[in-house]
Amino acid sequence: MDKIKLFFKPYVSILFLRDFKAGFVLFLLSFLLPSVGLLGIVAIISTIAFAEIAGVREHYLKYGFYLYNSLLVGMGVGYFFDVSLLSVILTSILAVLTFLISFGLNRMFINFALPILSFPFAIVSMLFYLASLKYNSLVTNILHRVPLFDMNLPFSAFFKSMGTIFFLPYNIAGLIISLIILFYSRILFFLAVIGFIAGVWVHSFFIPFNASLNSFYNFNFILISMALGGIFLIPNIRSYVIAIIAVILSVILIDAFVVFFNLYLLPVYTLPFNMITTLFILLASIGYKYFNYFIKGTPEKSLEYYLSNIFRFGGKDIKINLPFSGKWSVYQAFDDEWTHKGEYKYAYDFVIKINNKTHQNEGTLLEDYYAFGEPVLAPISGYVVAMRDDLEDNFIGNVDRINNWGNYIIIKSLDGTFYVEISHLMKNSITVKVGDYVQMGQIIGKCGNSGYSPEPHIHIQVQFSPVLGSKTVPFKFMDYIKGNKLYYYSLPKKDEEIEATIVDKTIRIRFNFILDDSFIYEIYENNEKIDEIKFSVKMNEKGEFYFTDGENRLYFYLSEKMFYFYEYDGGKSYLKEIFKLSPRIPLINKNIVYKDILPVNIIKGFEKYLIEFLLSFNYNLFNKPIEYEKKPLEIVSKFGKVTFSFYEKGFKTIEFKNKKLILRNEK
Amino acid sequence: MSKKYEKPVIIKVDFTMASKYGSPLKTQKVRSEIDDVNVRDLVEKFGSPLFVYSQRAIENKYNEFKEAFTSRYPDTQFWWSYKTNYLDAICKVFHKLGSKAEVVSEFEYEKARTLGIEGKDIIFNGPYKPKDALKKAVEEGAKIHIDHWYEINDLEEIAKELGKEIPVAIRCNMNTGVYPQWSRFGFNIDNGEAMDAIKRIFEGKKLILTGLHSHIGTFMLSAAAYGAEVRKLIELKNMIEENFGYEIEYIDIGGGFASKNRLKGVYQSPEVIVPSADEYAEAITNAIFEFNKGKLPKLYLETGRALIDEAGYLLTSVWAGKRMPDGKKSYIVDAGVNLLYTAFWYNFDIALDKRYEGLNEPSMINGPLCMNIDVISENIMLPPLNRGSVLSIWPVGAYNVTQSMQFIRYRPRIVLIDKDSNPHLIKEADDLDYVREKEILPEYLK
Repeated sequence: MDKIKLFFKPYVSILFLRDFKAGFVLFLLSFLLPSVGLLGIVAIISTIAFAEIAGVREHYLKYGFYLYNSLLVGMGVGYFFDVSLLSVILTSILAVLTFLISFGLNRMFINFALPILSFPFAIVSMLFYLASLKYNSLVTNILHRVPLFDMNLPFSAFFKSMGTIFFLPYNIAGLIISLIILFYSRILFFLAVIGFIAGVWVHSFFIPFNASLNSFYNFNFILISMALGGIFLIPNIRSYVIAIIAVILSVILIDAFVVFFNLYLLPVYTLPFNMITTLFILLASIGYKYFNYFIKGTPEKSLEYYLSNIFRFGGKDIKINLPFSGKWSVYQAFDDEWTHKGEYKYAYDFVIKINNKTHQNEGTLLEDYYAFGEPVLAPISGYVVAMRDDLEDNFIGNVDRINNWGNYIIIKSLDGTFYVEISHLMKNSITVKVGDYVQMGQIIGKCGNSGYSPEPHIHIQVQFSPVLGSKTVPFKFMDYIKGNKLYYYSLPKKDEEIEATIVDKTIRIRFNFILDDSFIYEIYENNEKIDEIKFSVKMNEKGEFYFTDGENRLYFYLSEKMFYFYEYDGGKSYLKEIFKLSPRIPLINKNIVYKDILPVNIIKGFEKYLIEFLLSFNYNLFNKPIEYEKKPLEIVSKFGKVTFSFYEKGFKTIEFKNKKLILRNEK
Repeated sequence: MSKKYEKPVIIKVDFTMASKYGSPLKTQKVRSEIDDVNVRDLVEKFGSPLFVYSQRAIENKYNEFKEAFTSRYPDTQFWWSYKTNYLDAICKVFHKLGSKAEVVSEFEYEKARTLGIEGKDIIFNGPYKPKDALKKAVEEGAKIHIDHWYEINDLEEIAKELGKEIPVAIRCNMNTGVYPQWSRFGFNIDNGEAMDAIKRIFEGKKLILTGLHSHIGTFMLSAAAYGAEVRKLIELKNMIEENFGYEIEYIDIGGGFASKNRLKGVYQSPEVIVPSADEYAEAITNAIFEFNKGKLPKLYLETGRALIDEAGYLLTSVWAGKRMPDGKKSYIVDAGVNLLYTAFWYNFDIALDKRYEGLNEPSMINGPLCMNIDVISENIMLPPLNRGSVLSIWPVGAYNVTQSMQFIRYRPRIVLIDKDSNPHLIKEADDLDYVREKEILPEYLK
């Protein structure tokens, strides 16, 4: 099966899609011109054969472009020549050459993190045309070339352009390709249309409209628009505008190339698309906010992945944990009235309040203060890069103006990108030393009153430099509880009392799934057993773990503080229901309410197609939080509920609508 | 108001430099209220001396510990250590909070039963369990923690008499890296005695081992020692489950958590050295997760002192003042070491009922007993006090009431302040009838 998939994938890769079933349709479609279809096959087989001989299997398996470039070359040959022994030999030779050039180009491009797109195809096509000027024995089919079938359609120019991508410049081919695109991605289809219109329209400023409309190279507009607007950039209005600008620029480039290369009877094919797209990717990759770092199967999926990351997992913000346990109140927040100003505005001060007071008795002694002596926890995992704890704790009413920061500790994050600084610790209380590794949540010291501190409190800030007193930068807290609500990636306001979360490792054990763990559930409908289903834990080639029922995949991840699902691949299934019922599970033993956002394709039925498309114009459509309530051993929401067992892994029961799945105990 | 006359004295003060607490000559520690109730009002209404318990403090502390443990390890159960404080009202507060009972004598066992605690909710500990008390506890389903070999025999005989197998736990002791090592109770793990006891129980076929218990010491300032204890218990559990097929339902790690009291001879303040509930919980639960194989056990805690000590105050009134030959000021108050057994090892936190005029001077607080040892504080900086000044001594919630003596004076009243700041009398003071109640004067002496 994998081999069959491997064979059909190049067809669909040309359209930036992934489903091999569409590849199969395109494969069949390629026989509209039998020579295109046949020589396409020859090209793929030759490439695989050569790669096997050369022993570089993992390369063509890993990168789709080796095969689709060869495929394009093969189809290109088939477009001009009938199938003959000579054309088959020629195709094989060119396919191998394409493979080699792909390999070479990739070695260079990879340094810039650039895709090689169809550059190899464009180059090899030219080489072949150049060489063919000397070959008289090759007879072109150009005079008797007719498709097996065609029909008249409105928007013929568009469909023909679409078909040209596969060397099938016919209405019927364009229609089928368009339908495939539309079926998988409304965004790509939209981009194809507006790219075509924009390109033709701008081109018509310079040449007659009819010539512009029917130009052979219009498919470049379609490819550029789809590649930039939908694939390499995250779909949204800004990215669409960039795609259109790229299309407009390509108008000139295409004409320039056509004039130049036609002197030597060379085709231009996809060269303008490759050049323009590559240039834009280079530009966007150095800081365009919506550059797509995680290209998924369709633009819709890329977009949802991106939005999930922002709305569900806090995006790229720096996230740290609270440096304490229990309930503390915000004394100063970001940009606050006393000391959190200017360069030092991104900092938090915490105190403990009981009955709205930070101390008992008269508050004249340090021990009167509830915060004094409370443990301070490591807010991140990382390495201690600096610390000091030899300064006295000031008595109340006195501050140390010389050593503002008091006793402090600076921890470097594991990825080395930022530092967390905590101040005013108690004298001699720091339990770690410079160079030590600290684990998030580990006790590293005690709250004190050293430095510029009017009363015992914890000061915390994030900075990009390990130097004490560096400029502060914004950050968010990973999670905290306020009242009975659990908040993720937020910042509490001044005077709010918040509570730190503590990981309950017994829950953690219940979600620590290992490969091939499997769970059999008995399915009841209205309390009558109707079926059984088995979910197993598997891993894909990228090392991502998922549950599968054999057909559908539900991807999950276990982080330090929560278990969550982040992607679903498949149709209607019980796995999809599980995603809805418990998109994330806080590893906390507490009754709390929290919110989460489900990807559009999980919640909506047919209207999801519309929403997915509109999402690219308004990201807020994604932000539809759903409330979940976590009790010790269950999670309840409007969709139903899941329950857990104390001693078994996974879900004990899964209930929604009139259905109930019960874990069958294997013992 | 005219200023009171105070006989002038020259005081040698050798630490006049401002310390981190400010000037020792001026700083006064004042605690005028307990849970919003004025201490003078309390003394006026209920008399002096007076033990005062704060229900608010009990509940806060209990919830702090419960939260610290159950948030990390949900299957945690607290068992109120009766010997720490077995006043009915105090026990009831703990039971209402969800705590079960841990007793170490037939008297405590009966007290728990009278308070409505079922046998199954009582852990029966201790080296001395009279046989009929033991039998009754077994019949009522109490959790028996075996302390020695004789008790194995006793229980097997009881099992034979009752014709049923008895679920039991054994108490273990071990080296956890702290001194002194408590090796008097239970069976030693390190030298294999515990294993021998388990073999013995296994071969006797009358008892079923369901739990492991240990209690490594008291006022433990090291959370790591508990980590070491749990590790050894869990390793023993793993070994038992592998070799004997018993399922160890629970491990009971005893008590011993420190309160914010200041031990004599320890320089640092309790805020600095006493581990928090979170520190204990982290060390204990981490060790379970790290070493446990098989099903996770229930975690039992017999925390006493750490839960109640800080909820208890002793109010005492100044009766007289003296100047000692060495120039030190001495105050005689109405509560002494007869009520404050723990005074022998704690330097209490002693606060005034209000601010007083005058500079602090080194003073001594002595109790009312006609005994040289009756010293509550040997050296404390106090301003000049008057007769009737009320001192509040804290923390005294643990052990003092259960260990206080009717010696020379009657024992005082005890008050519990509820969460709405209403004081309730929970124990009357002794009187002559009470003290004489059990006395018998033989006829010939009358």
